[in-house]
Amino acid sequence: MLEISNLNAGYGEVTVLRNFSCRIETGQVTALMGRNGMGKTTLMKSIMGLIPVKSGTIHLNGIQINGKETYKISRAGIGYVPQGREVFEQFTVAENLRLAALGSSLSNLDRLPQIHDWFPILKERHDQKAGTFSGGQQQVLAIARALMTGPEILLLDEPTEGIQPNIVHEISLQLARIARETGLTILVVEQNVDMVRTMADHILFMENGQLADQCSAEELRSDETLIHRYLSI
Amino acid sequence: MIEILPPLLDALSYILVLILVALGLMIVFGMMGVINMAHGELFMVGAYVMVVCQSLGLPFLVGVLFSGILVGLLGLLIEAALIRHIYTRTLDTILATWGLSIALKQGIVLIFGPEAQSVISPLSDTVSLGEFSYPLYRLLLMGASIALIGLTFWLFLKTDFGLTARAVIARPDTAATLGINTRSLYRRSFVIGTTLAGIAGALVAPLISVDPQMGLGYLIPGFLSILVGGAGPLAGVLAGGAAVGGTNSLLTVWISPVAAQIAVFIMAILVIRLRPEGLLGGRRGK
Repeated sequence: MLEISNLNAGYGEVTVLRNFSCRIETGQVTALMGRNGMGKTTLMKSIMGLIPVKSGTIHLNGIQINGKETYKISRAGIGYVPQGREVFEQFTVAENLRLAALGSSLSNLDRLPQIHDWFPILKERHDQKAGTFSGGQQQVLAIARALMTGPEILLLDEPTEGIQPNIVHEISLQLARIARETGLTILVVEQNVDMVRTMADHILFMENGQLADQCSAEELRSDETLIHRYLSI
Repeated sequence: MIEILPPLLDALSYILVLILVALGLMIVFGMMGVINMAHGELFMVGAYVMVVCQSLGLPFLVGVLFSGILVGLLGLLIEAALIRHIYTRTLDTILATWGLSIALKQGIVLIFGPEAQSVISPLSDTVSLGEFSYPLYRLLLMGASIALIGLTFWLFLKTDFGLTARAVIARPDTAATLGINTRSLYRRSFVIGTTLAGIAGALVAPLISVDPQMGLGYLIPGFLSILVGGAGPLAGVLAGGAAVGGTNSLLTVWISPVAAQIAVFIMAILVIRLRPEGLLGGRRGK
Protein backbone atom coordinates (compact mmCIF):
# COMPACT_ATOMS: atom_id res chain seq x y z
CA MET A 1 0.00 0.00 0.00
CA LEU A 2 1.18 3.51 -0.81
CA GLU A 3 0.31 6.01 1.87
CA ILE A 4 0.88 9.72 1.47
CA SER A 5 0.44 11.98 4.51
CA ASN A 6 0.36 15.78 4.68
CA LEU A 7 2.66 16.11 1.70
CA ASN A 8 4.00 19.54 0.80
CA ALA A 9 6.15 19.77 -2.29
CA GLY A 10 6.87 22.07 -5.21
CA TYR A 11 9.52 23.80 -7.23
CA GLY A 12 11.90 26.15 -5.46
CA GLU A 13 9.89 28.61 -3.38
CA VAL A 14 6.61 27.59 -5.03
CA THR A 15 4.58 25.05 -3.10
CA VAL A 16 2.29 23.00 -5.38
CA LEU A 17 1.16 20.18 -3.12
CA ARG A 18 -0.45 21.44 0.09
CA ASN A 19 -0.95 18.88 2.84
CA PHE A 20 -1.89 16.26 0.28
CA SER A 21 -2.90 12.94 1.81
CA CYS A 22 -4.21 9.75 0.26
CA ARG A 23 -3.96 5.94 0.35
CA ILE A 24 -3.46 3.81 -2.71
CA GLU A 25 -4.77 0.36 -1.85
CA THR A 26 -2.82 -2.71 -2.95
CA GLY A 27 -4.20 -4.45 -6.03
CA GLN A 28 -6.43 -1.55 -7.02
CA VAL A 29 -6.30 0.69 -10.04
CA THR A 30 -6.61 4.23 -8.75
CA ALA A 31 -7.08 7.18 -11.09
CA LEU A 32 -6.05 10.68 -10.09
CA MET A 33 -8.02 13.34 -11.94
CA GLY A 34 -7.98 17.10 -11.98
CA ARG A 35 -7.50 20.07 -14.25
CA ASN A 36 -4.09 21.15 -15.54
CA GLY A 37 -1.84 22.76 -12.96
CA MET A 38 -3.51 21.14 -9.96
CA GLY A 39 -0.36 19.26 -8.93
CA LYS A 40 -0.89 15.76 -10.36
CA THR A 41 2.52 15.51 -12.06
CA THR A 42 4.17 17.15 -9.05
CA LEU A 43 2.72 14.39 -6.90
CA MET A 44 4.10 11.70 -9.21
CA LYS A 45 7.53 13.33 -9.25
CA SER A 46 7.48 13.70 -5.46
CA ILE A 47 6.71 10.00 -5.04
CA MET A 48 9.64 9.16 -7.35
CA GLY A 49 12.01 11.50 -5.51
CA LEU A 50 12.50 13.64 -8.63
CA ILE A 51 11.58 16.78 -6.71
CA PRO A 52 12.24 17.28 -2.99
CA VAL A 53 9.47 16.89 -0.45
CA LYS A 54 9.24 19.93 1.84
CA SER A 55 7.27 18.15 4.56
CA GLY A 56 5.02 15.16 5.04
CA THR A 57 5.69 11.49 4.40
CA ILE A 58 5.31 8.85 1.70
CA HIS A 59 5.26 5.22 2.85
CA LEU A 60 5.38 2.12 0.66
CA ASN A 61 4.24 -0.94 2.59
CA GLY A 62 5.05 0.83 5.84
CA ILE A 63 8.55 1.90 4.79
CA GLN A 64 9.22 5.59 4.39
CA ILE A 65 10.49 6.34 0.89
CA ASN A 66 10.50 10.13 0.75
CA GLY A 67 14.04 11.49 1.09
CA LYS A 68 15.49 8.43 -0.65
CA GLU A 69 17.25 8.70 -3.99
CA THR A 70 15.12 8.01 -7.07
CA TYR A 71 16.90 4.78 -8.00
CA LYS A 72 16.28 3.41 -4.50
CA ILE A 73 12.58 4.31 -4.72
CA SER A 74 12.42 2.49 -8.06
CA ARG A 75 14.17 -0.55 -6.57
CA ALA A 76 11.78 -0.44 -3.60
CA GLY A 77 9.07 -1.45 -6.09
CA ILE A 78 7.68 1.64 -7.80
CA GLY A 79 7.56 1.65 -11.59
CA TYR A 80 7.12 5.00 -13.31
CA VAL A 81 5.84 5.92 -16.75
CA PRO A 82 6.56 9.65 -17.07
CA GLN A 83 4.48 12.23 -18.87
CA GLY A 84 5.69 12.42 -22.47
CA ARG A 85 6.88 8.78 -22.31
CA GLU A 86 10.60 9.62 -22.35
CA VAL A 87 11.71 6.46 -24.10
CA PHE A 88 15.34 6.40 -25.21
CA GLU A 89 14.86 7.25 -28.88
CA GLN A 90 18.37 6.22 -29.96
CA PHE A 91 18.03 2.79 -28.34
CA THR A 92 16.25 -0.19 -29.82
CA VAL A 93 13.17 -1.66 -28.16
CA ALA A 94 15.32 -4.49 -26.79
CA GLU A 95 17.85 -2.02 -25.35
CA ASN A 96 15.11 0.06 -23.71
CA LEU A 97 13.77 -3.05 -22.01
CA ARG A 98 17.23 -4.39 -21.10
CA LEU A 99 18.05 -1.06 -19.50
CA ALA A 100 15.14 -1.49 -17.08
CA ALA A 101 16.45 -4.93 -16.09
CA LEU A 102 19.98 -3.55 -15.66
CA GLY A 103 18.64 -0.87 -13.32
CA SER A 104 16.48 -3.18 -11.24
CA SER A 105 17.80 -6.73 -11.43
CA LEU A 106 19.13 -8.80 -14.31
CA SER A 107 16.79 -11.60 -13.23
CA ASN A 108 13.97 -9.36 -14.45
CA LEU A 109 15.04 -10.31 -17.99
CA ASP A 110 12.96 -13.43 -17.27
CA ARG A 111 9.92 -11.17 -17.50
CA LEU A 112 10.57 -10.56 -21.20
CA PRO A 113 8.36 -13.42 -22.54
CA GLN A 114 5.49 -12.15 -20.39
CA ILE A 115 6.04 -8.58 -21.60
CA HIS A 116 6.06 -9.83 -25.21
CA ASP A 117 2.84 -11.71 -24.54
CA TRP A 118 1.17 -8.54 -23.27
CA PHE A 119 2.62 -6.32 -25.98
CA PRO A 120 3.38 -8.46 -29.09
CA ILE A 121 4.49 -5.42 -31.11
CA LEU A 122 7.57 -5.15 -28.91
CA LYS A 123 8.61 -8.67 -29.88
CA GLU A 124 7.99 -8.03 -33.58
CA ARG A 125 10.05 -4.82 -33.49
CA HIS A 126 12.61 -5.57 -30.83
CA ASP A 127 15.51 -4.38 -33.02
CA GLN A 128 13.74 -1.19 -34.14
CA LYS A 129 14.85 2.15 -32.71
CA ALA A 130 12.32 3.60 -30.28
CA GLY A 131 12.57 7.00 -31.98
CA THR A 132 10.93 5.57 -35.11
CA PHE A 133 7.83 4.51 -33.15
CA SER A 134 4.53 6.38 -33.16
CA GLY A 135 3.38 8.08 -29.95
CA GLY A 136 1.13 5.14 -29.05
CA GLN A 137 3.87 2.59 -29.66
CA GLN A 138 6.30 4.64 -27.57
CA GLN A 139 3.73 4.68 -24.77
CA VAL A 140 3.44 0.90 -24.94
CA LEU A 141 7.24 0.68 -24.75
CA ALA A 142 7.38 3.08 -21.79
CA ILE A 143 4.79 0.97 -19.93
CA ALA A 144 6.61 -2.27 -20.79
CA ARG A 145 9.90 -0.75 -19.68
CA ALA A 146 8.43 0.18 -16.30
CA LEU A 147 6.92 -3.31 -15.96
CA MET A 148 10.37 -4.82 -16.67
CA THR A 149 11.56 -3.43 -13.33
CA GLY A 150 9.11 -5.79 -11.62
CA PRO A 151 7.18 -3.11 -9.74
CA GLU A 152 4.64 -3.62 -6.96
CA ILE A 153 2.98 -0.37 -7.93
CA LEU A 154 2.96 1.33 -11.31
CA LEU A 155 2.64 5.10 -11.63
CA LEU A 156 1.43 6.38 -15.00
CA ASP A 157 1.44 10.09 -15.73
CA GLU A 158 -1.08 10.99 -18.46
CA PRO A 159 -0.47 7.90 -20.59
CA THR A 160 -3.06 8.92 -23.19
CA GLU A 161 -1.65 12.39 -23.89
CA GLY A 162 -1.20 12.87 -27.63
CA ILE A 163 -2.29 9.35 -28.55
CA GLN A 164 -4.99 8.21 -31.02
CA PRO A 165 -8.29 7.25 -29.31
CA ASN A 166 -8.26 3.63 -30.59
CA ILE A 167 -4.75 3.10 -29.16
CA VAL A 168 -5.85 4.70 -25.88
CA HIS A 169 -8.64 2.13 -25.59
CA GLU A 170 -6.22 -0.73 -26.35
CA ILE A 171 -3.75 0.45 -23.74
CA SER A 172 -6.54 0.83 -21.16
CA LEU A 173 -7.78 -2.70 -21.78
CA GLN A 174 -4.27 -4.13 -21.61
CA LEU A 175 -3.43 -2.31 -18.38
CA ALA A 176 -6.72 -3.48 -16.85
CA ARG A 177 -5.86 -7.05 -17.90
CA ILE A 178 -2.36 -6.84 -16.41
CA ALA A 179 -3.72 -5.45 -13.14
CA ARG A 180 -6.35 -8.21 -13.01
CA GLU A 181 -3.92 -11.03 -13.86
CA THR A 182 -1.00 -9.97 -11.69
CA GLY A 183 -2.60 -8.00 -8.87
CA LEU A 184 -0.43 -5.02 -9.81
CA THR A 185 -1.33 -1.79 -8.04
CA ILE A 186 -1.72 1.13 -10.44
CA LEU A 187 -1.93 4.86 -9.84
CA VAL A 188 -2.75 6.65 -13.08
CA VAL A 189 -2.93 10.39 -13.58
CA GLU A 190 -5.44 10.85 -16.35
CA GLN A 191 -7.85 13.37 -17.82
CA ASN A 192 -9.31 10.92 -20.33
CA VAL A 193 -12.64 9.94 -18.78
CA ASP A 194 -13.07 6.91 -21.06
CA MET A 195 -9.77 5.44 -19.94
CA VAL A 196 -10.61 6.01 -16.28
CA ARG A 197 -14.00 4.34 -16.76
CA THR A 198 -12.35 1.38 -18.52
CA MET A 199 -9.73 0.56 -15.95
CA ALA A 200 -10.08 2.38 -12.61
CA ASP A 201 -11.52 0.91 -9.39
CA HIS A 202 -11.19 4.10 -7.43
CA ILE A 203 -10.95 7.75 -8.45
CA LEU A 204 -9.28 10.62 -6.60
CA PHE A 205 -9.94 14.25 -7.53
CA MET A 206 -7.29 16.84 -7.00
CA GLU A 207 -7.66 20.58 -6.78
CA ASN A 208 -5.07 23.23 -5.88
CA GLY A 209 -2.58 20.67 -4.62
CA GLN A 210 -5.06 18.97 -2.29
CA LEU A 211 -7.23 15.88 -2.38
CA ALA A 212 -10.63 17.40 -3.06
CA ASP A 213 -12.84 14.33 -3.37
CA GLN A 214 -12.91 10.64 -4.18
CA CYS A 215 -15.35 8.03 -5.38
CA SER A 216 -15.61 4.45 -6.61
CA ALA A 217 -15.86 3.48 -10.28
CA GLU A 218 -19.57 2.64 -9.83
CA GLU A 219 -20.27 6.05 -8.35
CA LEU A 220 -18.48 7.70 -11.26
CA ARG A 221 -20.56 5.77 -13.79
CA SER A 222 -23.86 6.66 -12.13
CA ASP A 223 -23.08 10.26 -11.30
CA GLU A 224 -21.03 12.59 -13.44
CA THR A 225 -21.24 15.55 -11.04
CA LEU A 226 -17.68 15.08 -9.81
CA ILE A 227 -16.30 14.94 -13.38
CA HIS A 228 -18.11 18.20 -14.20
CA ARG A 229 -16.92 19.86 -11.02
CA TYR A 230 -13.25 18.90 -11.10
CA LEU A 231 -12.55 18.62 -14.82
CA SER A 232 -14.95 21.34 -16.04
CA ILE A 233 -16.35 19.12 -18.81
CA MET B 1 55.43 11.44 -52.47
CA ILE B 2 57.27 9.41 -49.87
CA GLU B 3 58.62 12.57 -48.16
CA ILE B 4 55.10 13.46 -47.00
CA LEU B 5 54.85 10.16 -45.08
CA PRO B 6 56.83 11.08 -41.91
CA PRO B 7 54.85 14.31 -41.25
CA LEU B 8 51.62 12.42 -41.99
CA LEU B 9 52.57 9.74 -39.46
CA ASP B 10 53.57 12.43 -36.93
CA ALA B 11 50.19 14.08 -37.46
CA LEU B 12 48.41 10.75 -37.01
CA SER B 13 50.20 9.99 -33.74
CA TYR B 14 49.36 13.50 -32.44
CA ILE B 15 45.72 13.10 -33.53
CA LEU B 16 45.40 9.76 -31.75
CA VAL B 17 46.84 11.06 -28.45
CA LEU B 18 44.62 14.15 -28.75
CA ILE B 19 41.57 11.91 -29.25
CA LEU B 20 42.51 9.95 -26.11
CA VAL B 21 42.68 13.17 -24.10
CA ALA B 22 39.49 14.59 -25.69
CA LEU B 23 37.60 11.32 -25.13
CA GLY B 24 38.25 11.59 -21.39
CA LEU B 25 37.10 15.22 -21.44
CA MET B 26 34.01 14.35 -23.48
CA ILE B 27 32.93 11.45 -21.26
CA VAL B 28 33.06 13.71 -18.22
CA PHE B 29 31.39 16.67 -19.96
CA GLY B 30 28.82 14.70 -21.94
CA MET B 31 27.67 12.67 -18.99
CA MET B 32 27.96 15.03 -16.06
CA GLY B 33 28.15 18.49 -17.58
CA VAL B 34 31.51 18.92 -15.85
CA ILE B 35 34.06 20.99 -17.75
CA ASN B 36 37.22 19.57 -16.27
CA MET B 37 39.92 22.24 -16.55
CA ALA B 38 42.26 19.93 -14.60
CA HIS B 39 42.13 17.24 -17.27
CA GLY B 40 45.42 18.45 -18.77
CA GLU B 41 47.06 18.23 -15.34
CA LEU B 42 45.83 14.65 -14.91
CA PHE B 43 47.52 13.95 -18.26
CA MET B 44 50.64 15.63 -16.82
CA VAL B 45 50.49 13.54 -13.61
CA GLY B 46 50.38 10.41 -15.80
CA ALA B 47 53.63 11.52 -17.45
CA TYR B 48 55.26 12.23 -14.07
CA VAL B 49 54.25 8.80 -12.75
CA MET B 50 56.10 7.43 -15.78
CA VAL B 51 59.14 9.56 -14.86
CA VAL B 52 59.12 8.09 -11.35
CA CYS B 53 58.58 4.52 -12.58
CA GLN B 54 61.49 4.85 -14.99
CA SER B 55 63.76 6.31 -12.31
CA LEU B 56 62.88 3.27 -10.16
CA GLY B 57 63.95 1.03 -13.02
CA LEU B 58 60.48 -0.40 -13.62
CA PRO B 59 59.61 -1.67 -17.12
CA PHE B 60 57.85 0.86 -19.40
CA LEU B 61 54.65 -1.19 -19.56
CA VAL B 62 54.46 -1.28 -15.76
CA GLY B 63 54.87 2.51 -15.83
CA VAL B 64 51.93 2.87 -18.22
CA LEU B 65 49.85 0.58 -16.01
CA PHE B 66 50.77 2.48 -12.84
CA SER B 67 50.03 5.81 -14.53
CA GLY B 68 46.54 4.64 -15.44
CA ILE B 69 45.85 3.18 -11.99
CA LEU B 70 47.27 6.09 -9.96
CA VAL B 71 45.65 8.81 -12.06
CA GLY B 72 42.39 6.80 -11.97
CA LEU B 73 42.63 6.71 -8.16
CA LEU B 74 43.40 10.42 -8.14
CA GLY B 75 40.27 10.88 -10.28
CA LEU B 76 38.26 8.89 -7.73
CA LEU B 77 39.55 11.14 -4.95
CA ILE B 78 38.79 14.31 -6.95
CA GLU B 79 35.27 13.05 -7.74
CA ALA B 80 34.54 12.19 -4.12
CA ALA B 81 36.05 15.34 -2.63
CA LEU B 82 35.13 17.96 -5.23
CA ILE B 83 33.20 17.04 -8.36
CA ARG B 84 30.23 15.25 -6.77
CA HIS B 85 29.29 18.44 -4.95
CA ILE B 86 29.02 20.48 -8.14
CA TYR B 87 27.44 18.14 -10.70
CA THR B 88 25.21 19.96 -13.21
CA ARG B 89 26.60 23.37 -12.11
CA THR B 90 28.72 23.74 -15.24
CA LEU B 91 30.11 27.20 -14.50
CA ASP B 92 31.11 26.18 -10.98
CA THR B 93 32.92 23.13 -12.34
CA ILE B 94 35.11 25.42 -14.47
CA LEU B 95 36.19 27.45 -11.44
CA ALA B 96 36.64 24.46 -9.15
CA THR B 97 38.64 22.38 -11.62
CA TRP B 98 40.67 25.41 -12.67
CA GLY B 99 41.70 25.82 -9.03
CA LEU B 100 42.46 22.12 -8.90
CA SER B 101 44.65 22.39 -12.01
CA ILE B 102 46.71 25.15 -10.35
CA ALA B 103 47.06 23.04 -7.18
CA LEU B 104 48.18 19.98 -9.17
CA LYS B 105 50.74 22.02 -11.15
CA GLN B 106 52.16 23.59 -8.00
CA GLY B 107 52.22 20.21 -6.28
CA ILE B 108 54.35 18.87 -9.15
CA VAL B 109 56.63 21.94 -8.95
CA LEU B 110 57.09 21.32 -5.21
CA ILE B 111 57.99 17.67 -5.72
CA PHE B 112 59.94 17.74 -9.00
CA GLY B 113 60.85 21.42 -9.44
CA PRO B 114 59.86 23.60 -12.41
CA GLU B 115 62.45 22.15 -14.80
CA ALA B 116 61.53 19.65 -17.50
CA GLN B 117 62.03 15.92 -16.96
CA SER B 118 62.64 13.37 -19.64
CA VAL B 119 61.50 9.82 -20.20
CA ILE B 120 63.66 7.52 -22.29
CA SER B 121 61.82 5.80 -25.11
CA PRO B 122 61.52 2.05 -24.46
CA LEU B 123 62.20 1.39 -28.16
CA SER B 124 65.07 3.16 -29.88
CA ASP B 125 64.73 1.16 -33.13
CA THR B 126 63.54 2.75 -36.33
CA VAL B 127 61.57 1.44 -39.28
CA SER B 128 62.67 2.16 -42.86
CA LEU B 129 60.13 3.97 -45.02
CA GLY B 130 61.93 4.21 -48.36
CA GLU B 131 64.79 6.61 -47.80
CA PHE B 132 63.38 7.73 -44.43
CA SER B 133 63.54 6.00 -41.12
CA TYR B 134 60.72 6.38 -38.62
CA PRO B 135 60.89 5.74 -34.84
CA LEU B 136 59.29 2.42 -33.94
CA TYR B 137 57.99 3.84 -30.64
CA ARG B 138 55.79 6.34 -32.48
CA LEU B 139 54.19 3.47 -34.41
CA LEU B 140 53.72 1.59 -31.14
CA LEU B 141 52.13 4.71 -29.61
CA MET B 142 49.69 4.85 -32.52
CA GLY B 143 48.81 1.19 -32.11
CA ALA B 144 48.30 1.59 -28.34
CA SER B 145 46.19 4.71 -28.84
CA ILE B 146 43.99 3.00 -31.45
CA ALA B 147 43.54 0.04 -29.08
CA LEU B 148 42.57 2.34 -26.18
CA ILE B 149 40.18 4.38 -28.34
CA GLY B 150 38.65 1.13 -29.64
CA LEU B 151 38.35 -0.19 -26.07
CA THR B 152 36.61 2.99 -24.94
CA PHE B 153 34.16 2.83 -27.87
CA TRP B 154 33.49 -0.83 -27.16
CA LEU B 155 32.90 -0.07 -23.48
CA PHE B 156 30.41 2.71 -24.21
CA LEU B 157 28.72 1.26 -27.30
CA LYS B 158 28.69 -2.49 -26.80
CA THR B 159 28.48 -3.27 -23.07
CA ASP B 160 25.75 -3.04 -20.45
CA PHE B 161 27.82 -0.40 -18.67
CA GLY B 162 27.84 1.64 -21.89
CA LEU B 163 24.08 1.21 -22.34
CA THR B 164 23.38 2.57 -18.86
CA ALA B 165 25.97 5.34 -19.32
CA ARG B 166 24.39 6.48 -22.60
CA ALA B 167 20.96 6.35 -20.97
CA VAL B 168 22.18 8.58 -18.15
CA ILE B 169 23.69 11.01 -20.69
CA ALA B 170 20.38 11.16 -22.60
CA ARG B 171 17.86 11.25 -19.73
CA PRO B 172 19.37 11.10 -16.23
CA ASP B 173 16.04 11.35 -14.36
CA THR B 174 14.36 8.69 -16.47
CA ALA B 175 17.37 6.40 -16.03
CA ALA B 176 17.12 6.86 -12.25
CA THR B 177 13.41 5.94 -12.30
CA LEU B 178 14.46 2.60 -13.82
CA GLY B 179 16.66 1.90 -10.80
CA ILE B 180 19.96 3.08 -12.29
CA ASN B 181 22.30 4.60 -9.72
CA THR B 182 23.32 7.69 -11.67
CA ARG B 183 25.78 8.93 -9.01
CA SER B 184 27.72 5.68 -9.08
CA LEU B 185 27.77 5.79 -12.87
CA TYR B 186 29.06 9.37 -12.83
CA ARG B 187 31.86 8.33 -10.49
CA ARG B 188 32.88 5.33 -12.60
CA SER B 189 32.80 7.41 -15.79
CA PHE B 190 34.87 10.16 -14.22
CA VAL B 191 37.47 7.58 -13.19
CA ILE B 192 37.48 6.13 -16.73
CA GLY B 193 38.03 9.64 -18.16
CA THR B 194 40.91 10.40 -15.80
CA THR B 195 42.48 6.97 -16.32
CA LEU B 196 42.53 7.64 -20.06
CA ALA B 197 44.28 10.97 -19.42
CA GLY B 198 46.86 9.28 -17.17
CA ILE B 199 47.64 6.56 -19.72
CA ALA B 200 47.86 9.13 -22.54
CA GLY B 201 50.33 11.17 -20.46
CA ALA B 202 52.49 8.12 -19.79
CA LEU B 203 52.46 7.01 -23.43
CA VAL B 204 53.40 10.41 -24.81
CA ALA B 205 56.06 11.10 -22.12
CA PRO B 206 59.03 9.74 -24.17
CA LEU B 207 58.17 12.07 -27.06
CA ILE B 208 57.80 15.41 -25.29
CA SER B 209 59.43 17.29 -22.45
CA VAL B 210 57.65 16.43 -19.21
CA ASP B 211 57.08 19.69 -17.34
CA PRO B 212 54.36 21.27 -15.17
CA GLN B 213 52.89 23.18 -18.15
CA MET B 214 52.56 20.22 -20.52
CA GLY B 215 48.87 19.66 -19.77
CA LEU B 216 47.79 22.93 -21.34
CA GLY B 217 49.24 21.90 -24.70
CA TYR B 218 46.68 19.09 -24.88
CA LEU B 219 43.79 20.58 -22.89
CA ILE B 220 43.06 23.45 -25.29
CA PRO B 221 43.19 21.33 -28.48
CA GLY B 222 41.15 18.74 -26.57
CA PHE B 223 38.35 21.22 -25.90
CA LEU B 224 38.58 22.52 -29.47
CA SER B 225 38.19 18.95 -30.75
CA ILE B 226 34.95 18.56 -28.80
CA LEU B 227 33.62 21.90 -30.05
CA VAL B 228 34.58 21.24 -33.66
CA GLY B 229 33.43 17.61 -33.66
CA GLY B 230 30.02 18.11 -32.08
CA ALA B 231 27.18 15.59 -32.43
CA GLY B 232 27.41 12.19 -30.77
CA PRO B 233 29.53 12.30 -27.64
CA LEU B 234 32.06 9.79 -28.96
CA ALA B 235 32.02 9.99 -32.76
CA GLY B 236 32.26 13.78 -32.66
CA VAL B 237 35.55 13.55 -30.77
CA LEU B 238 37.03 11.45 -33.57
CA ALA B 239 36.09 14.02 -36.21
CA GLY B 240 37.10 16.98 -34.04
CA GLY B 241 40.40 15.39 -32.96
CA ALA B 242 41.26 14.59 -36.58
CA ALA B 243 40.43 18.14 -37.75
CA VAL B 244 42.16 20.02 -34.93
CA GLY B 245 45.13 17.67 -34.47
CA GLY B 246 45.64 17.15 -38.20
CA THR B 247 45.53 20.87 -39.04
CA ASN B 248 47.89 21.79 -36.20
CA SER B 249 50.39 19.01 -36.81
CA LEU B 250 50.56 19.27 -40.60
CA LEU B 251 50.78 23.08 -40.67
CA THR B 252 53.72 22.93 -38.27
CA VAL B 253 55.70 21.28 -41.08
CA TRP B 254 55.52 24.44 -43.19
CA ILE B 255 54.85 27.30 -40.80
CA SER B 256 55.87 28.16 -37.23
CA PRO B 257 54.01 26.37 -34.37
CA VAL B 258 52.50 29.70 -33.24
CA ALA B 259 51.17 30.45 -36.73
CA ALA B 260 49.83 26.88 -36.93
CA GLN B 261 47.96 27.35 -33.65
CA ILE B 262 46.47 30.61 -34.91
CA ALA B 263 45.37 28.77 -38.07
CA VAL B 264 43.74 26.05 -35.93
CA PHE B 265 41.81 28.66 -33.94
CA ILE B 266 40.65 30.33 -37.17
CA MET B 267 39.60 26.92 -38.52
CA ALA B 268 37.71 26.18 -35.27
CA ILE B 269 35.95 29.58 -35.36
CA LEU B 270 34.94 29.00 -39.00
CA VAL B 271 33.61 25.53 -38.26
CA ILE B 272 31.65 26.71 -35.24
CA ARG B 273 30.32 29.72 -37.19
CA LEU B 274 29.24 27.69 -40.23
CA ARG B 275 28.24 24.52 -38.39
CA PRO B 276 27.30 25.49 -34.82
CA GLU B 277 26.49 21.88 -33.96
CA GLY B 278 29.97 20.75 -35.02
CA LEU B 279 31.27 18.79 -38.00
CA LEU B 280 28.96 15.83 -37.36
CA GLY B 281 26.03 17.88 -36.09
CA GLY B 282 24.89 19.53 -39.31
CA ARG B 283 23.54 23.05 -39.58
CA ARG B 284 21.29 24.37 -36.87
CA GLY B 285 17.68 24.56 -38.05
CA LYS B 286 16.35 27.97 -38.96
